[in-house]
Parts: sequence; C-alpha cells; structure tokens
Amino acid sequence: VTSEVSPGGESAPRLVAVNLLGVVEHPALGDGPYRVDRDGRPYVPAGDGGIVLDLQLGDSVFGLVADHAAPGACLVHPDPASRHALASYGCIGNRARVRTGQAAGAHGVVIGKRGEDGRVIVAFGQADLARMRPGDEVAVRARGQGLRPPRLPPDVTIMNLDPAVLALLPIDLSGTAAGDGGGAAVTAGVRMTVPSRLAGNGIGRPAVGWDLDLQLPPPGPDGTGDLALGDLVAVTDIDARYNMGYRRGWVTVGVVGHGASPLPGHGPGMTPILTGPAGAVRPVPDPAGHAGLTAAMVQLQ
Amino acid sequence: VKVTTNAGRLVRQVLAGEVWPTLADRHAYRVGPDGRPFLLPGMGGVTLGVHCADPATGYASDHLEPGASIRHRDPGANMALQFLTCVGNQVRVASGPAAGAVGHVIGQHAYVLADFPEPAAADLAPGDAVTVLATGQGLALPDHRSITVKNCDPDLLARMPGGTRPDGRLEVHVAARVPAEAIGAGAGMVSEYANTDLMGAYQGLGADLSLGLEGLRIGDVVALADADHRYGRGYRAGYLAIGVISTGQCMLFGHGPGPSTLLSGPADAFCLVDDPEANLARWLHAQPDEIRPAAAAAPGSR
Repeated sequence: VTSEVSPGGESAPRLVAVNLLGVVEHPALGDGPYRVDRDGRPYVPAGDGGIVLDLQLGDSVFGLVADHAAPGACLVHPDPASRHALASYGCIGNRARVRTGQAAGAHGVVIGKRGEDGRVIVAFGQADLARMRPGDEVAVRARGQGLRPPRLPPDVTIMNLDPAVLALLPIDLSGTAAGDGGGAAVTAGVRMTVPSRLAGNGIGRPAVGWDLDLQLPPPGPDGTGDLALGDLVAVTDIDARYNMGYRRGWVTVGVVGHGASPLPGHGPGMTPILTGPAGAVRPVPDPAGHAGLTAAMVQLQ
Repeated sequence: VKVTTNAGRLVRQVLAGEVWPTLADRHAYRVGPDGRPFLLPGMGGVTLGVHCADPATGYASDHLEPGASIRHRDPGANMALQFLTCVGNQVRVASGPAAGAVGHVIGQHAYVLADFPEPAAADLAPGDAVTVLATGQGLALPDHRSITVKNCDPDLLARMPGGTRPDGRLEVHVAARVPAEAIGAGAGMVSEYANTDLMGAYQGLGADLSLGLEGLRIGDVVALADADHRYGRGYRAGYLAIGVISTGQCMLFGHGPGPSTLLSGPADAFCLVDDPEANLARWLHAQPDEIRPAAAAAPGSR
C-alpha cells in the first residue's frame, strides 16, 4: 500500500486495490470478414483483440499488417457491466496473474486499455503468452484511479496509472520546472506532440475507460515520425479529465497501447495518464531518444 | 444542385420503424465539460419545439434530437433502417393519433431523426409506427467522380443550390465552415450511421472551448475541413465532408451538434459558397407531397 505523504506532512487518502477477473478475449468478426480501409479497400482485420504473439513494448506501431494489434493479451468479461469495470479500474502497471489453463501462475502487467465495450491490454513474457489461450482467466490487481501525488499541481489530473509505475516513467512531478504561467509544472518526456485535429476515436468518451486513437501517417523511409508501443505521446488542446474533448490551451499525455489501424478515424491508441493546462503540463519531445513504458520496466521474463 | 446523377437508377424501399422511447439509466447523471453532473432531456422519444432553421444550441438539453427518434426492434432490421434511410426521405406516421402525418428525415444519430410539423409532432409518442420511404444510397455524380454521395435523397440534392461549374467543380452552398479541431465523438465510425459531433459550438461556455460555431442551426449545411467521409469518418488533409446539422445542444464533453454526411471528396473538387440560408428548411419544410412534383424545377431557382 502506498502512503503518499505531502511535504506538509498530511497524508493523502490511501488507494484501494481490488482484484478483478478478466477473461482472455477471442477476436470477433461480423458475418463478413471484411472491414473497409481509409482508401475504400476491403481488408481482413488481423490482430484486433485476443492474444497477439511476437509484438512487444518498444516495437513500432506501424510494424505489422494488423488492425489495432496490442502487445500481449486483451482481457474482457462476459458481463458488460463487469467488463466496463475491468476497463475503468484497470491501470497501467497493475500486476496480472493467470489463474487457469496451461499458463496458470504466469505474471503479466497491464500496459493499456481500449474503449467501446472495454478491454484491458496485458503484456506477458512470450513463453507464457504462447501457452495461453482465449478463455483463460486472469486476475488483475487493480489500483491507481484516485491517485493524486501531493506534489501534483492542483489543476493537473493523473489517471489510469499504478502508483508504482508512475515513478518509473519519464514524468517529473518535482515541481521545479517552471510552467508557462510561472507556476510549477509537471514535465513529461514524450516521443512526439500531436495536434488535437489528429485525435480520432475516443473523443467524447470517458478517459478512464477508453484510449484515444491518433490518426498518424506511417513513418518516412528514414523512420521519421515512427512511434513505438509504450511510448508517451502528448496531444495539445485536449482536456481528458472526464470525457475527452477539445479545450484550447490544454495538454493530455498518454501511453501508446496498441498499433495502427487501416480504419478511417482510427490509429495507434494512447491511454491517457496526465492532463492539465499547458502551463502546468509540459511535454518534452525527444523523437530519437525517448523511452516510455518499456519491457524492462515491467520486468517480464 | 444542378448536376447529372444516376437518380433514375436508384431503388426506393419501404422501411418500418417506431418512435423509440427516451432512455435513461438509474445513475441518472452525465458529466459536463467542467466536471459538473447534469440530467437533461433531448435524446430519443419526441422532442418538441425545435425544427430545421431553429438554433442548434442554447437549450437546456443534451444530445438534442429534433422531432421523432426512430429505430426498429429487430437488430438486423434496425441496421438496415439506419444505413438505408437518407436525409430528405419521406416519413409517414402509421399508427396512433398522428397516423397519416408526413415528415422528412433530417439525419441519423443512431436513430433515424424525422422532423414533423409541430401539430403532428405534438400527437406523436414512443411506440408509434412510422413508414420510411428510403432512397438515396448509391446516388452518384458521373461528372464528379472523386465526390462520394451518401445519405442523401436525390430530391434533396436537386433542391439544393449550386451545381456543376464551368471549371468542373461542384458548387455547394454552406452555412458554416467547420475546422478539423471541432470534430468530436463520431470520428472513426462509418459515415452511414449516427453523425459527427462538433465541439466548440455550445452556447455560454468559455473562450477556451469556443470554435466559433455557436451560430449553427438545425438543418444547416456545413463543410468540415480536412475530413474524409467516403468510407467512414477520418482526418485527411485536403479533403472535405459536407453534412447537414441533424442534432443540437450537448452538454456531454467532446460532443455537440452534429452533421450527418451528404458529400465527401477532395477539397479542390468543390467550390464552397458561404450562404447563411443553406438550410434544409429552405428546401424541405413544405410537405413532401408538395415537394416531389416541384423537384425537377427547383435547382437554381432560389
């Protein structure tokens, strides 16, 4: 249990951890195999949910011929309300443990979530993942919603983050950085900053239960503009405190949890973790050297 | 618009639906832009007193759907109703005290939205059966092959001002131009279903939220910048989507009054004319029975 103590000595309310039950998803299609891409071409969506092998944190979001592919296993729940709870309470960095099937006992870590009906994305070691199958039960030790580190500027909100992983990410809460308004600012190292007009699916949806798709073009031949799973990305003029929407002068930072999509209005998706006025949240882009949420950080075998 | 179409080759199909009840859940509240909870009517059922040419925003309402909100009980039949119904299609009430009343479709919002004259709407209630004369999907413009038409009754298209220009572009009159930053919920969905919510159009919110769209009216024809709606709704620099505002005031953040898509293609295939009167009311407020014989003479007559 984290005990957050502010410089003044008063304790912040303690977070509650809850064990949630997820079930490894099976990919699902409609009566026909095709979706239609942004140029009007039919395609068969591979990798959209379920277990995706050989895709890991640090890999390019554009590396596979796939639709919304996520590194690891997507968890769902057969009851819609339980599924929404799983997606809303599950936080990046939460520990997960397989309870049934051949990989029973294996540990994984939540690295993101997806919206609509709700999915939690859990990364596992590749050997464990290869032994898993759809329908396996996985417990998620969910903790993080309500996190409010004492040093956080009052108009900044953190969400979808396990407190244990917050300290490992390139986020500086020390308050020593000067914000645009002269007050203290949180800085976040990011791969890139994206304008709000490229934000797609996820706008208008609750930031605790959805990701925000980014309509990014594939990288150039020299890799310019590439984005990796686990990267932090900033989106300008998006307020994600509740539902995500346009607010001039705001910044939202998220962790990239799934890969690109051929669908119009879709793309690599980020799970929001930090939102506030631009004066209090300062993204620091580093296109070449950025490291966000990494495999080493989540300590998977 | 004065333009060559394949309208003579489209089918007309009789679809059935019913006025759908207003829905709520037992937790009641939704959350506004500043975290303030609210409970407001507007979605589903029959929303009275708001018609084409009325302001889209400025009401104590959420997801305001003018007129009747229509679905079909069977999920598959409902998707056919939602996908095949087009803006401008005739809707006739088939049961209840308003039976026989005629209205027209003004858009889609996961419901088919039908505007009726106020006296008829006052007699409508959830559960009333309606008949939709669906036509429009498949409409094409042979002289403008880069432009995709969807959700548009051929009679409505014929009645709109503009048309093929000598330079080959399609002239379309629009009441507002919408920047890409305003695109809210609805991005990433297919463009034959629901609509594109526009942010920054609410009345009475701060300058940080305004995108200059407070003047929108129900039924306005608008142009969305950098939007490609040919195969869904997505961002594409240099493309345009033309739509008609079919829903109004929203308090839910990231939502707002929204256009149902009518046309989409490269921006250079269009010639936009700013026209405050580019509104469905201009062309469709008359009863559809009066409109049909006039359709051939209407283009460019304004």
